[in-house]
Amino acid sequence: MSDENSEVQAMDDRLRETLSAMMDDQADELAVRRVLSHHDQPAVRDQWQRWQRIRDVIHETPSGHAGLDVRDAVSASLDRSASADDSHRQAVRRRHAPWRWSAVAMITFGVAIGFGAGSGWDVMSGTGSDSLVPVQAQVPAAAQDSAVPQVTLQGLDARQREQVSRYLLEHAQNNSVVAGQGAVGYARLTSMSGTGY
Amino acid sequence: MKLRARVAAHTAIMMVLAVTMLAAWPVRGAEQETADSWLLKLGPALNMTTYRGIFVYSRGDQVSSMMIAHRYRDGRVEERLVLQDGANGEILRRGNQVLCVLPEHGRIHLDQVIPSGPFGEAFASQRVPVGAWYQPELLGDDRIAGYPTVVIGLRPRDEHRYGYRLWMEKHTGLLLKSHVRQDGEVLEHFQFTMLEITNDLPDSEFEIESGVEVREVTPDLPVSDKPGEMDGWALGWKPEGFLPAAAPRTDRGQAVAFSDGLATFSVFVEPASGVDMPQGASRVGATTIYMHYASPGPEDARERFLITVVGEIPPRTAMRVAQSVTVDDSNALARTLMD
Repeated sequence: MSDENSEVQAMDDRLRETLSAMMDDQADELAVRRVLSHHDQPAVRDQWQRWQRIRDVIHETPSGHAGLDVRDAVSASLDRSASADDSHRQAVRRRHAPWRWSAVAMITFGVAIGFGAGSGWDVMSGTGSDSLVPVQAQVPAAAQDSAVPQVTLQGLDARQREQVSRYLLEHAQNNSVVAGQGAVGYARLTSMSGTGY
Repeated sequence: MKLRARVAAHTAIMMVLAVTMLAAWPVRGAEQETADSWLLKLGPALNMTTYRGIFVYSRGDQVSSMMIAHRYRDGRVEERLVLQDGANGEILRRGNQVLCVLPEHGRIHLDQVIPSGPFGEAFASQRVPVGAWYQPELLGDDRIAGYPTVVIGLRPRDEHRYGYRLWMEKHTGLLLKSHVRQDGEVLEHFQFTMLEITNDLPDSEFEIESGVEVREVTPDLPVSDKPGEMDGWALGWKPEGFLPAAAPRTDRGQAVAFSDGLATFSVFVEPASGVDMPQGASRVGATTIYMHYASPGPEDARERFLITVVGEIPPRTAMRVAQSVTVDDSNALARTLMD
């Protein structure tokens, strides 16, 4: 523990800044090269892995690359395509790809743990998990209804429409009575009257 | 400086993570009990909370909003609902008395399918154990109209009913938002956008604006204490858990309402009239209407009855219910219609 702390302290501020920037895909090539050539490679790797673990937990990425040393891969990538504009970024991006992808998993994760502070907002607004799987979700419903003969209310004539409306109104009344005092059921009646014109 | 900001940011992320885990795990442990106890609060909270606000109700591309003032005082509910979109109109309730004020329309127009009810008043029903047909689960926290809420999911235990998601205000248990859902698709959406939960509201909140003609639509709710009766016809099938519920008497034909504590459907059986209705299902939002003609027997093919099922149930369920209706004794049915 104390070793680790002293290592961290030994790392100069600029190095840590660069590592941090690499986490965010914001380091420039020169800075990345500086990290790769830093004299205290174990300290660099430790710091990188610590931050990466935090990221992994946040993004629920399987911790397979927690012990991965990105140094060789990044270094090789830089050397291989040094002429390319942002080759180092691409290299880093490849490393980052699983994290981006796991934004979906993060939402699932949030659902699984029951939503703690701050994480519930997006999904609870109905845009999260709902919108992620709309196709799979709707296909069974559609298939299920396909055997039920369909009637479009728009195609009804005036008298048919009036009769349908009467059923709907009486059902709304039943519904509010069945439920006792909940008067909001009457909102339905007015919403019929008040919208759609 | 830049470094400090970065390190601080990462530290902050870590702290958020820690807080998230601390907050989430204990809740998960008590999930079942908590979701159930929240549901028990729902019914009383609907009536006994005093509040005013504006809510929106949406279904497909249709959205409507309504202002509501609700007061509970001396054991009596007073409520005023004012339409915010389209035609003017308001509804006033004093206990069991309901006044409907629609200045621009002499009567309620029924061009739109009735929403299945933002608050799902059926939640208030304590007669049916909801947990038997729905799996309650605590989904977490949210904030609606400025109030902290707890989110309860109700997953149907079979395919004959829809699922629900309820947002309940943490202090009072008042329902601030609800979804009727099927396979992750939101069929119906109700939500307060502005809300004030208070101890009391002035009388002025419950007065109809002067100068408008008041037409009494429902002087007194014709509530029957006993469940609806099925004279001369029988229901061959209904989803498990739906029980006949007290329903108002209608003057035309027979209507019986069934409820499982959350969802309600009504069955109408009437002799076929001059109006030839199409047979099949229509669905708008969570409300399905299924119409189907039936005859007492092959020898009575000329004597037809229109069976109509309306409710917040899937089309397939409505169809099965409607097709299971058998008219045993058309004379008995005719007699009740005469009475």
